[in-house]
Amino acid sequence: MPSGALLFQSIILGLLLGGLYALLAAGLTLYFGIMRVVMIAHSAFLILAAYLAWWSHARLGIDPLLSMIVTVPLFFGAGVLLQRMLLSRLRSATLTMMSVLLTFAIALIVEGLLGYAFTGTQRRIQLGYGSASFGLFGARIAVVKLIAFGLAVISLAVLYLLMKRTTFGWALRATIQHRDAARLVGIDTEKVAGYGFGIGLATAAIGGTALSLDTTIYPSLHWHWIGPLMAIIVVGGLGSVPGAAAAAILLGLMQSLLQIPMGTTWAQTIFYLALFATLAFRPQGFFGGRLAQRF
Amino acid sequence: MTTSLETTDLRKAFGGVVALDGATVSFRHGQVNALIGPNGSGKTTFFNCVTGMIRADSGRITYRGSDIARKAPHAIARAGVGRTFQLCRVFPRMSALDNVLAAVRPGGLAGGLRGARHRAEVDRARGWLTRLGIEHLAEIEARNMSWGQQKLLELAGVLMGEPETVLLDEPAGGVNPALLDRIGTLVRELNAEGRTFVIVEHNMDLVMSISDHIVVFDRGRPIAEGPPALIRTDERVLGAYLGV
Amino acid sequence: MPNVSKRVLTGVGLVLLAAAAISFPSLAPNPYILSAGIVVVNYAVLATSWNFVGGFTGYISLGHGALAGLGGYATALLVTKAGLPSFVALAVAALLVAALAVPIGLAALRVRGASFVIVSIALVLILLLVFQSWASFTGGSRGLVVPRPFPGLLRPEHHRVFFYLFSGLLALALLAWWLIDRSRFGLGLKAIREDEDKAESLGTPTFAYKLIVFVVSAAFTALAGGLYALWFGDLDPVFQFSILTGSYLVLMALLGGVRNLFGPLAGALIVGIALEYFKGQFGNTPLHLVATGVLLGLVVMFMPDGVLPALGSLVQRFRKAEQGSIREVSASELLAQRKREEVRQ
Repeated sequence: MPSGALLFQSIILGLLLGGLYALLAAGLTLYFGIMRVVMIAHSAFLILAAYLAWWSHARLGIDPLLSMIVTVPLFFGAGVLLQRMLLSRLRSATLTMMSVLLTFAIALIVEGLLGYAFTGTQRRIQLGYGSASFGLFGARIAVVKLIAFGLAVISLAVLYLLMKRTTFGWALRATIQHRDAARLVGIDTEKVAGYGFGIGLATAAIGGTALSLDTTIYPSLHWHWIGPLMAIIVVGGLGSVPGAAAAAILLGLMQSLLQIPMGTTWAQTIFYLALFATLAFRPQGFFGGRLAQRF
Repeated sequence: MTTSLETTDLRKAFGGVVALDGATVSFRHGQVNALIGPNGSGKTTFFNCVTGMIRADSGRITYRGSDIARKAPHAIARAGVGRTFQLCRVFPRMSALDNVLAAVRPGGLAGGLRGARHRAEVDRARGWLTRLGIEHLAEIEARNMSWGQQKLLELAGVLMGEPETVLLDEPAGGVNPALLDRIGTLVRELNAEGRTFVIVEHNMDLVMSISDHIVVFDRGRPIAEGPPALIRTDERVLGAYLGV
Repeated sequence: MPNVSKRVLTGVGLVLLAAAAISFPSLAPNPYILSAGIVVVNYAVLATSWNFVGGFTGYISLGHGALAGLGGYATALLVTKAGLPSFVALAVAALLVAALAVPIGLAALRVRGASFVIVSIALVLILLLVFQSWASFTGGSRGLVVPRPFPGLLRPEHHRVFFYLFSGLLALALLAWWLIDRSRFGLGLKAIREDEDKAESLGTPTFAYKLIVFVVSAAFTALAGGLYALWFGDLDPVFQFSILTGSYLVLMALLGGVRNLFGPLAGALIVGIALEYFKGQFGNTPLHLVATGVLLGLVVMFMPDGVLPALGSLVQRFRKAEQGSIREVSASELLAQRKREEVRQ
């Protein structure tokens, strides 16, 4: 029976982890909601952002968090271009399937380029405050994890405000809920979809940076993430950002707690178990509400 | 009078929208039944529940006395209920002939591995294509056909399955008068040959001219039923739907 | 294309293929080329096996690499731990994987489209996890060595024998695909691809059909994986349960054309040879990933039906240009045409 302190620490870590997952998964579920696109390359862009953060720190001496000043607008632009130039050209009959293959191809290209530019050597950011931690009721919490969580909370809050309080957010939600109806109301759904994609990739920039603070990165790392992230958005309900957040926190918590008896590797299986369980019992997801879609 | 399709207190809601509100209906075997009502009165939902495409929230559904409420769509089709769709559905990248042949149900392993273009079945399929006047399109891909031709093709496919009862969902939708005439005649012919029909339709001329028995839906349940002459003058029906 | 010339083409194609397969080992200048040929034929078998599901039902599985890996490991473990003779182990392994495909299919085939793709990806990832972690049983990341079935053979002879074995397996897979393609079962599967709900409303037991073809696909895939294990002799989870291999299969089948018997084979030839070329050009750098990605992207964007159909329509366009643009029409033909137009909208 694990000690109370260990349990408490796991819970805290699980929540922090869940928050980070929520940020990472938000973009992924957004792409699906906007365009019924399964963006397999999202995690590849996460790793790309992580590499850029590492590179700016290791080669330019800039704090990795500052790299976001460049990466966030850059990724936003890339997202818009991706949607306008490539994804919108796919025939709508088989859009979802073809988008899987296309974004898979993009993921391969990103991984290949990363491997070429940075070689396969594992990289890790050595931060001054990297090993700092503080105590909370007997639990030791790494500062970097807290920063990552902070980034996640801020970004999701901004995303929430954007979606609920701005005209653009209204247009985006309308496009997600019913594309044709949105068009009839006068929304330029193509433009909105493009910006929506940009936002999705922008969250990848932030998420990747957060990831870089605390993780060892290598080019094929994205495969390690795409499975759990897919699981999160399916459990949360496809297309629903709050659903993904709820699922992320739940699964992050469970993963953290399961690490105690099962070890890191086996604890990862919780994502796949949750995925299969969702598809078996409630394919539209558990937390999505009316926004959630079936594939 | 024997019953064909029968539902008891059928209910279905989509989120906050109640599509079927306790529908108790009985269609007559051997007759041409019509199901009419304003848009949103639950007619297509009724079809979808009855053919197993969606699951009703509660209520009984029987066909010729046996319970079909929990059955899969293919089992219901095999039980003798065929159905066309409101937005006509054919297999776009298959030829007309293959579209019709797809309705053949092989028995067991040997049947399944037999050639799809088996002589007897091809003849039967061509027979249906001819009867519907589209035999010249046999090798044309369905997606290259006009709307009217696709509607006929869809019907040919359904009939190939030799259904005892045929559910037609708005057969007159988007169809020109000449074709409409042919469809009406065809329904009467097939009915004379022993097939039961349940037709959802808005075109009152067609309904009044070919139906033996009409059920009127409004807001998810039947509000009137009877022969055309009666329905034509029923006040409730006029108020809800037909207009004066 | 009319049926007669299609049959002639298929027949000619088969003869050419058989001739190529028989003569290749003798023509290959060195054992390395021969082993590269084996890799290509292996890809062809895998792609054709994938195409049972992808081509007929339209369900795109990015996880067939998992089934191949399972076939490989099952064969290897049956030989090393259970002491079965190599080819008996191969057959048993294929049966085991086919049996396993039933519960996998029951879970995965309940969902469609991209959901299915995600499940297939998850399958590979989870198997990779399991096989890497369960080191005591599977050798984990250190890999698993498989004893050769013909220990006395020198390398070139070893390659020769396995080239013929793989070619034989390919022939079997092509035969099975062809049988299904022309059968009533195949028509039902194609109906599922076109419109699954409509197929079901016509009386096709769609789920049963999908499951059956999935099991058949899994069996052939496992045979290919197992044969590879016997030939190569060394298994590593990272390569066996590889999403990349799974994606190569999809690329090959799509590139060649999923609706054609020889499509996946053509795709395997093109991609297999391209891969060898890229490896030569870029060494073992990750740029071959970039090349694969670009190729896959181009196929998806511009040739989603594949190369063979694209070639086919090119030929047809060429043929049509040869016919005159104005046909002479007899009076009776004109009358018949007018009658048809009445039916048309």
